[in-house]
Amino acid sequence: MRHFLLRIEPVIWLLFGQGLLIGTMLLTGWVLVVGIGVPLGLIDPAALSFDRAHALGSNIIGRLVLAALIVLPLWKGAHHLRHLSIDFRGAERDVVVAPILYGIATVASLLGVLAVARL
Amino acid sequence: MAGPAHPKAMTPSKPGRTRTAPPQMPASWWSHPRIRTYLLFDATGLVYLLLGLVALRVIWALGAGPEVWDATLASLSSPLYVAFHVIGLVSVIFVGVRFFSFFPKSQPPRIGPAKPPPQPVILAGLYVAWIGVTVLFGLILAGRIF
Repeated sequence: MRHFLLRIEPVIWLLFGQGLLIGTMLLTGWVLVVGIGVPLGLIDPAALSFDRAHALGSNIIGRLVLAALIVLPLWKGAHHLRHLSIDFRGAERDVVVAPILYGIATVASLLGVLAVARL
Repeated sequence: MAGPAHPKAMTPSKPGRTRTAPPQMPASWWSHPRIRTYLLFDATGLVYLLLGLVALRVIWALGAGPEVWDATLASLSSPLYVAFHVIGLVSVIFVGVRFFSFFPKSQPPRIGPAKPPPQPVILAGLYVAWIGVTVLFGLILAGRIF
């Protein structure tokens, strides 16, 4: 497992790095509007009516942006949590912790791609 | 001509003592501001993982039809979700400020024949991109553009 984790490290790092860079850039606007602005009534909820949201999300650019919004933060999160575990004397348990975290990120990423594909 | 050297010709007969110990967290980590900030940066991983899962739930609902979409959006108004998204916003800004301060320092001295721009220029570019993407994406989501 350690050998496998080392072999996939470049792919994990690519997703982790893009989660930091692109994930942070996309999440800021997403959280401001969808997570805070509309729920608190600061932004007109008509902006996120089903028809408008579906029209925005179902074109090719919308699908790519939404896929990145779901997938990249998952890998930033999984990789950082793995290292938090290692920092708290978790080098031994890493062979269990890393597959669980990357497993969650993999399954959720596949579901994210499916969610965007079925729009 | 001599043949190729034995691959283990230079290996010491006994493995030497490792001169540097692997890094370990000091027991008093909570009293070191730099370690605390570093750990906080790692701990935002939990927030990002949850933000990704919430985004998955929302986009999944968009593909499930108007009723599910409206119910999902309504659930985001619960105080628990709003509190989580406020923590999410603080985390995302903290990660952005910290990561973008690292980014220029981590660039290689050369990328092929080209040299990367000076560090302040890279940093300014990152902030312009961050603010630009946030304003554009935010205005589109809020119904001000398109």
